[in-house]
Amino acid sequence: MTRLVQSLGAATLDQLAHLGRMGLFLVYMIRGIVKPPGKFWSVIKQIHFIGTKSFFVIGFTAAFTGMVLGLQGYYTLSKFGSEGLLGSGVALSLIRELGPVLSALMVTGRAGSAICAEIGIMRIDEQIDALECMAIDPYSYLITPKLLAGLVCLPLLTAYCDVVGIFGGYLVGVDLLGVSPGAYLSGVENSVVWKDVYMGMVKSLGFAVLMIWICTYKGFYAGVDDGNFGPEQVGRATTNAVVLSSVSILAADYVVTSILL
Amino acid sequence: MGHRDLIDVCGLNSHYSGRQVLFDIRFGIPDTNITVIMGVSGCGKTTLLRHLIGLKRTRPEQIMVDGQDLGKFNEEEMRNYRRRLGVLFQSGALFNSMTVSQNIAVPLKVHTRLSDETIRIMALIKLNLLGLAEFGAFMPSQLSGGMRKRAGLARALAMDPEILFVDEPSSGLDPITAAGLDRLILELRDTLGMTIIVVTHELESAFRIADRLIVMDRGCILAAGSPDEIRASQNERVLQFLERKADTAEINTAGYLSRIMGNEITRSGR
Repeated sequence: MTRLVQSLGAATLDQLAHLGRMGLFLVYMIRGIVKPPGKFWSVIKQIHFIGTKSFFVIGFTAAFTGMVLGLQGYYTLSKFGSEGLLGSGVALSLIRELGPVLSALMVTGRAGSAICAEIGIMRIDEQIDALECMAIDPYSYLITPKLLAGLVCLPLLTAYCDVVGIFGGYLVGVDLLGVSPGAYLSGVENSVVWKDVYMGMVKSLGFAVLMIWICTYKGFYAGVDDGNFGPEQVGRATTNAVVLSSVSILAADYVVTSILL
Repeated sequence: MGHRDLIDVCGLNSHYSGRQVLFDIRFGIPDTNITVIMGVSGCGKTTLLRHLIGLKRTRPEQIMVDGQDLGKFNEEEMRNYRRRLGVLFQSGALFNSMTVSQNIAVPLKVHTRLSDETIRIMALIKLNLLGLAEFGAFMPSQLSGGMRKRAGLARALAMDPEILFVDEPSSGLDPITAAGLDRLILELRDTLGMTIIVVTHELESAFRIADRLIVMDRGCILAAGSPDEIRASQNERVLQFLERKADTAEINTAGYLSRIMGNEITRSGR
């Protein structure tokens, strides 16, 4: 019994230490915004990687999500004779919920995993140690540009996802199922208010911080706890980063929605 | 020899996950000298190096740099100390996403306000020094092991450091490249007056370049002195290391059988 309590206590302390280290990592990452070196070009490079290269995959996901929403929404609304509300349904679903969540999940899968693996490889190859030995703050030099790029890209990708999704819903609802184009578009225009857009943007900013924080943290400490720096540790860190980021994004979505509604 | 100790290690102990790996290490590193730390693999050389460059936290009053306590350095003091260092890691630790020239330019871009053209020329000078002038545009993955190590050294020298730490410079290199690196290390000491600390287990290289040798074993210092003093050492373990004699393993038949066959067999065997 004593041994059980001891191991439970040790595991709790271990988890608390991890949480403390994660918290400090976030502080250092944010502090890096005001610390040298200059980050303009490295942020641009990261915007290209996180944002531009995610354009196609987000557009593809958004188009099909909008089309499915149009299809499902039409058959549900037609039961009540309210097909004219299809535009409102598709737009609100996308702008409030699906746009930010889908964009964040797709960026996590495409860019977050790559970011974690890149930093993990730098860790096991002593490149992060080399940065420290050159008196270069690895948080400011490596991590902060990714955070800034994420904060720029995710709201823009979310807005793009919303627009493409609404167009996908239009394609199915209006062109295939015969909903009036005027009803669809005026539904979008009349139902969406600034608060909905604001909610979506706040979520996308929060998801950007979560995704970059978790993915860079996992890469930064790949193998550190095991004291074993090999490719297996990078693989494990990448899997953990994607899973934890995705779960955190979904959980944070509920919390932010319940606060902002 | 008239050299003052730039770094003084005074009773360093180190642990990994509760396991002690360094035991009361004491020695001085004289300035403008080459100090070679050598010993068998796993004896704690690299851990000692990580303490000296501030990558592993040191308790107060265990390492003194210019009379200042490394264990009490705050963030700013540690940054200032590291600006005086150049470090060549065992793997070279080049940034894979950059060319060799860009790698060398990193510390110059971060710590100086030099123009891009000046930085390009300075990187070229360092590459030339290491015989890599034609490889500036290459990615690290396109270089051989020896070239990567030399490129890592070029980056370590980019800021003209006062103290140079080199981890296993000759390991995995052919004898000609290894001899070239040794010669370069000697030139850096003679021409620039650098204080150089080399960690290695290559005997030939160690005796060729060292002004002072430190022999480590199982986390302790076995012997320290000039190459001639080390050669004259009567310590059994030092002699074994210098004469490249393998350990004579004590054979524990019961334990061996227990490990490969499982406890049940051992019990029946008894």
